[in-house]
Amino acid sequence: MRISKGALLVVVAFLVPFVVEFRTALSWFGIKLSILESLALGGVLVIGLLLWAVWPEDGNGGTGAAGSS
Amino acid sequence: MRNAYLDQFPDEARVIKAAFWSSFIALAIGGVLGLVQALHRTDVFRFIQSPDYYTVLTAHGVLLVIVFTIFFLVGTFTWAVTTSLDRGVVDTRFTWAWYIMMVIGAALAGITIFSGFLESAPSILGSELNADVLFTFYAPLEAHPFFYIGLVVFVVGSWLAGVDWFRTWLAWRRENPDERIPLPTFMVLTTTLFWYICTLGVSLSILVFLLPWSLGITESVNPLLTRTMFWYFGHAVVYFWLMPAYLMWYTMLPKFSGGKLFSDPLARVVFVLFLLLSTPLGIHHQYLDPGIAEGYKFIAMTNTMFLLLPSLLTAFTVVASMEHGARQRGGEGYLGWLKALPWRDPIFTGMALAGLMFAAAGFSGMINAGMNINYLVHNTWWVVGHFHLTVGTAVALTFMAASYWFIPQLTGKELWNRSVALGQVVLWFIGMTFMTNAMHRSGLFGLPRRTAEPQYQGFDFEPAVGTVGEINMQVALGAVILTLSLALFLLNMVMTSIGSNSESIPDNTYADTLSGAEDSPRILDNLKLWTAIAVVLVIIAYTLPLASIIDAGGLFGPDIEGFRLSTWVDPAVIESLSEVIR
Ligand code: HEM
Ligand SMILES: [Cu+2]
Repeated sequence: MRISKGALLVVVAFLVPFVVEFRTALSWFGIKLSILESLALGGVLVIGLLLWAVWPEDGNGGTGAAGSS
Repeated sequence: MRNAYLDQFPDEARVIKAAFWSSFIALAIGGVLGLVQALHRTDVFRFIQSPDYYTVLTAHGVLLVIVFTIFFLVGTFTWAVTTSLDRGVVDTRFTWAWYIMMVIGAALAGITIFSGFLESAPSILGSELNADVLFTFYAPLEAHPFFYIGLVVFVVGSWLAGVDWFRTWLAWRRENPDERIPLPTFMVLTTTLFWYICTLGVSLSILVFLLPWSLGITESVNPLLTRTMFWYFGHAVVYFWLMPAYLMWYTMLPKFSGGKLFSDPLARVVFVLFLLLSTPLGIHHQYLDPGIAEGYKFIAMTNTMFLLLPSLLTAFTVVASMEHGARQRGGEGYLGWLKALPWRDPIFTGMALAGLMFAAAGFSGMINAGMNINYLVHNTWWVVGHFHLTVGTAVALTFMAASYWFIPQLTGKELWNRSVALGQVVLWFIGMTFMTNAMHRSGLFGLPRRTAEPQYQGFDFEPAVGTVGEINMQVALGAVILTLSLALFLLNMVMTSIGSNSESIPDNTYADTLSGAEDSPRILDNLKLWTAIAVVLVIIAYTLPLASIIDAGGLFGPDIEGFRLSTWVDPAVIESLSEVIR
């Protein structure tokens, strides 16, 4: 794990305002995401984030846990 | 040896616990009503009649922003004073007395509001028992006298609470003549002082105008005058809610992050600024009120912009303290230290997320504060979105997170479930994101607040993005998540309270400082000086506007002298008198 589980939870929660506001902001440039597209974007981001978080930091088996508690 | 608050001050702990439970009950009822409103307005699920919507809305507003917040505040402040002075209150019987007074006031106002749901409400003192006046109780909306009496009793109870804190501080002062006021007590005292200044206005408005009017003693009121007196109090009260949250961010959050408060002097400056500036800007809620000259509104706007300063100072100090904590815990790098914060701790995470949402609220608040751009969002759902970020999250979420610390301290029982608590604060954050984003956006295309039926016939709102239906869904989704979060919070509180005693409750302490009281100029502790300046500022900001409102609209309404003569004098006598004069 690259970050603690608590931090991961918070970062995932953060994606919610990010996607919601990003969708609003994009529309100013004429890019209108539907709800499904936004959900898909959110899903991709969450999966990407989870992969990043659990990927071993330097290939030595993922023992380098940062920030516990 | 366990050294929780309960062990240090068992008697005070009981009162504080009672105050917290009173606030939780208000939160529970008020929160559920919030869901009812959200589902009704968005037409997702309706089970009340639309006219009853305003009874629901009044209860939601009063229970949450008056009862929930202020009960929590008096508990927190009593904890802060006793903890930081390291002595109990002078007399716990007095403490119980003001607490009970507040309960009576809240109950009286609450019962009056809720009897608005009855088919035929009982008639008492010559009028029907109800109070569908929303939490701002603007005339010409008129409530039953019990509503106003309840509010006054509640506020007087809070005044006595202030007396209790001052009294305790003075007793401590006699024992420690040369010491600096400890920071938490300093925060309590300055906040109490501006509470006295601002509640004076609303109490006068109730006692002199609204109550006699609802009792039928006076014929009418000058609505603009009572509105202005409400907002004289109405802006300061938002800081009153916020100050206990600030107190927790300054004195507890650094500790939970593993470090110390960055600067005690800066914190004192911030609280002094709030004492000075909280009141003389209430007119910024009345930018659209005809009858107040633009110039006065401009002064209120300028004062409001000055008030950004203490908020920015707070953002700086709190983040700096968190960074210090993170580095103590081994955090490194420009932003890498963020990873080292204790994100698994619901108390820390709840307060941090609350602070973050407060930053977002600051941006929408600046838009509200701008006189010209306010016209765009005035009385729309934008404003409702704004204050669900401020009082509904910055304050409410901080209070909930703080409860995870307080309730174990007050009961000697360990928190029932920390993971549920963490999930709860995160859910609140997510729910508020959905709900307030949609509310802000809908305000931009003019969707009104405070109405059960936001759609008009022959007229369609045109959102810049998405559809009205989609915005409604987002509000409903947010409201459901919030209610779930609220239920989890209450569950945790109940389960903790009925749990068994634990020896492993942390000691009752608050954060140390990097730069302490010895670094702050003594003049900051001169409460008399700051109060005097605050009063002068209020006089400057309000004398002329009030004078011109009274001049234009009369003290009790145009051409009305105040007393309904007919109650005292036979109409025939008046008739013949005016005959004579003519
Ligand atoms: C379960 C969480 C909540 C939900 C679902 C919710 C929902 C709502 C909705 C939909 C409205 C708008 C009604 C309208 O404009 O017609 C509203 C108004 C309001 N809410 Fe909430 N709310 C919640 C929590 C809170 C909290 C925690 C606070 C404060 C501590 C709060 C304070 C207010 C106030 C002051 C109003 C304005 C009342 C008025 O216009 O008179 N709400 N709420
Ligand atoms: Cu204001």
